[in-house]
Order: sequence, then C-alpha cells, then structure tokens
Amino acid sequence: MSLLSVRDLTVRFGSSAPPVVDGIGFSVPAGGALGIVGESGSGKSMTSLAIMGLLPPGASRTGTVFFDGQELTALSERKMREVRGNRIAMVFQDPLSSLNPYYTVGTQIAEAYRSHRSGVGRRAARQVAIEAMERVHIKEAGRRVDDYPHQFSGGMRQRVMIAMALSTEPELIIADEPTTALDVTVQAQILDLLAEVRRDTGAALILITHDLAVVSEVADNVVVMRHGNVVETGSTEQIFSDPREAYTQALLDAVPRIDDEIASLRSLGGDL
Amino acid sequence: MTLLEARNLVKEFAVAGTAGLFKPAAKFTAVDDVSFELHAGQTLALVGESGSGKSTTARLAARLLDVTSGTVLLDGQDVTRAEGDDLLRVRRTIQVVFQDPFSSLNPRHTVEQIVTAPLRYQKRPIPGGTRAVAQALLSRVGLNPDHVGRYPAQFSGGQAQRIGIARALAVGPRVLVCDEAVSALDVSVQAQIINLLRDLQREEGFGCLFIAHDLAVVRQIATSVAVMTAGRVVETGERDAVFGAPQHEYTRKLLAAVPRIRPEWEAARRRNAVAR
Repeated sequence: MSLLSVRDLTVRFGSSAPPVVDGIGFSVPAGGALGIVGESGSGKSMTSLAIMGLLPPGASRTGTVFFDGQELTALSERKMREVRGNRIAMVFQDPLSSLNPYYTVGTQIAEAYRSHRSGVGRRAARQVAIEAMERVHIKEAGRRVDDYPHQFSGGMRQRVMIAMALSTEPELIIADEPTTALDVTVQAQILDLLAEVRRDTGAALILITHDLAVVSEVADNVVVMRHGNVVETGSTEQIFSDPREAYTQALLDAVPRIDDEIASLRSLGGDL
Repeated sequence: MTLLEARNLVKEFAVAGTAGLFKPAAKFTAVDDVSFELHAGQTLALVGESGSGKSTTARLAARLLDVTSGTVLLDGQDVTRAEGDDLLRVRRTIQVVFQDPFSSLNPRHTVEQIVTAPLRYQKRPIPGGTRAVAQALLSRVGLNPDHVGRYPAQFSGGQAQRIGIARALAVGPRVLVCDEAVSALDVSVQAQIINLLRDLQREEGFGCLFIAHDLAVVRQIATSVAVMTAGRVVETGERDAVFGAPQHEYTRKLLAAVPRIRPEWEAARRRNAVAR
C-alpha cells in the first residue's frame, strides 16, 4: 500500500479563476522517492502546500490526500498538526527565512520536537537537537547548538533545517527546492545527506524542483507538471530515457548539458 | 588587438563595523590579482560559486566599480580612471545585462523609453525618432515591435530579459557583459535567451563577458573560461580544455559536483526520439 496517495487534488484561488492545481493524482510508497518537476507556475509547490494543509489565504482545496491510510483532507486542524512536522516533515528552499533569527538553532529544533512529544523536558529535547545536528554532520554539534542562524552558512542552515525535520523521525519528508539557493558543491553535499538520511531512517521523500538533472539523480519515480496538470508520470528511467509526452521531450531538450554543446537548444513554444 | 583586457585587477572593500576613530577599517579583498583578455566575437565566461568575486570582476571591467589597483584596457587604451568624455566612450562600448530583468527595468517607463534610454543619456542623435529605433530593437531580440508602448509588468520573465538585452544593444556596444543574465529564468526560456545571445553575437560580432555559476550554461555559450574562487582565477583556458581536462583541483571539484542525467538514459532518449 502507498504511504501517501493523492487523488483528484485541485487548488483554486476564488471560484472564477482557473485552478492552479487541476485534479492531479500520484502516490508514494513507504521509503520511496518521488520527484515532482515543472517550471515556474506549474503548480508543483502549491501541490506540496495542499498536501500539508498550508495553503495561503484565499486558496481552496478539493480532492483527497491519504497518508498511511488516514485521510488528511478530512482531519481537523488540531489533528493535522499532529501529522505535520511530525510524521510528515518539510524542508524549504530558503532556510534563512524558515529559521527565527532571535532564537538559537538548538532552541528551534528542540521546541519543534517538544511540540510533538508532550512530556519531554527541555534538557532531553536539547539532547535530541544535538543528536539530530550530529546526524546531519554539523561538526561540534554540542557547541553549535547554541549558535544563531546567522552564524551558519547557507549550506549549514539547510543542514539545520534537515536536522529539525529529522528530529521527529518522520515517515515522509517533502523537500521543496531544497538546494536551489545553494552553490553547486554545497548542493551535492545536501543531496548526499538526503540520500544518507533516507537509507538510515527509511523515510520516503517528495522532492519538488525545477532541476531535471537533480531529479534524475535522486528520484525513483517522477511526476512532470505543467499549468497545474500532471503531464506524465513514470519511473525515473522511463521519463529520462523514453519520455512519452511532447512536453517532457521538449523540456529535456531544453536542459543545457555540461558534457555537450547543443547546436541550438530547443525551446518550448508558448512563452516567447 | 585585444578588445578588453584586465591586468592584475584588485578590489578591496572596507569591512563594516571594523573602523575605529583612529583605526582604518579591516579590508576584504574581493578580487585578488585577476587578469584576462577578451577578443571581439568571443565569449569569455567567468565561473565560480557565490563570493568568488566573478561579479565584482565584471563590474570593475565595465567601469561600474573603481579598482583598488590594476588596469582596464579597452582597445589597448587605459580606461581604468577614465572620466567625463572618456568615460562616456567606455559606456558606449561596454553594456551590461543583469540577472533580474524586472528589477533592472523601470516599472513606470514604457519599453520604448527603456530601450532608448542609453541613447538619451549619452545625448546621441536618434535617427528616425525613438519609436522607430525602439521597434527595430524589439524585432532584433524577437519581441513584437508593436509592444513598444507596454510596461515591464506586461511581459513574462523571458520577455523582460529580452528587453534588457535590447536596451544593452541600443548603443551598438562592442562588449556585452552578462551578469548571471539567464540564471533566474525557467529552463525553456533560458534556452531561448542563450540561443538569442549566440545569434546576436554572430550577427554583431561583440565580445561577451559572461558571468555565471551554472557550468552547463557556460558549456553552451563560452569560447574560453576563467574559473574563480576566493577572488582569484585558478584556471583559465579554451572551453573544451577546461571542461574536458581540468587542471586545477578546484575546477575538478566544481565539475564533479554538477548533477547529471545518466549518459545511458540520454543515449536511449535520443534513439527513441529518432525512432518516434
């Protein structure tokens, strides 16, 4: 059975505007890695926010999301809070805006943990934070737990976010463009870290990104989105070696290759 | 003759908050002894990660920033400290395209005002009037010439970047500096802008200083490559030499970190596309 299953998910702003996510469906098995790729405006980020029940004001959601047999779309906000950040964790693009500058990273990891584990004391939670930071290879975690976000580099802040996501031992991690703001060498480290975390904890991953090469390295299955619709779904090998849809083919043709100069990069029609 | 040459460029910035009443501020060296040559019709890519000094180097070469030491030569002439009319000549020769098209276009100006602004600032005669010149520029970058009266917000990101390129082309520059000019664009739009820059360079013959962190993009557009880290150029050479047989350890590390689609999948996809 799938860990997460999304059916006929639709998100719209107002009743007259066209939906930004238009009746999409996909599923993720326990321990699996799904890549959702698309260009800006494809609805890929809205999809993840809709799963988590974190849509911005004015947006409405229809369709169903099942997680481990439980219908998330039917849960009250209080019940949803027991799932969100606990059994399903999120990692966003910009770690600096996800971290509070006024608190040490240790306090933030510990408080996030304590909010899901009633009865855990501050001292125990601090120990959890240190262990989580060690797990993401932050050196001298016992000392750095008392540092503030601005004292970390971009890559280290993303490690802190992943440490926070891991502290509750989630079954699913949703990572929305987790490496887009990072330098390429740091990106490689974070992708390695995510792979290691999955190996060690068995957590499933949904990776949302515009970067096709990143998806090809990380995902087992891929969903290609455009204009709020799923264009194509398949195994990563099938999508990259034998794409069925014209849009997927054109998207792959447009990717600049580091190994090869393409005489004329094929570009997609539509947006001049 | 070399079109644009940088010799031993150094740029130091004062570190905020380190100056005392009688104590000078600590210095941070953003660009440390950087030299390069750019020839007409060629594209030199400055690549590196954030903080490597690549953008600062480009700004020094374009005279948007003053050097701490070193020399900038344009057509063999020292323009490092050019002022007044001499600086105006530099501005006519070197134009810059920036990363974020929207923040570099005035939202309250029409496209016609935007693309002809360099001509007006440089008090140049505008043959046939601004309307005709603006329409010709829009056609050259693949935009509808009837849209000269529109405002930046009415265009997509890729179209806005075309407007930025049209503005740079207005004065007929011989050096185009592209500072992460395609980095903020979607992959399909990015491909269009890379193609446009390649076509325009073929037609106009300008030299291009292309600043980028994305090595796959650089592979598509560069003639030669200079790899920067911590303010220094660690490796420079013909594009295929740098990508094919990198000499410096940092270049190797940088190339190894780039995510790649498996070659066997790529090969299969090409076979399948042909069969289709």
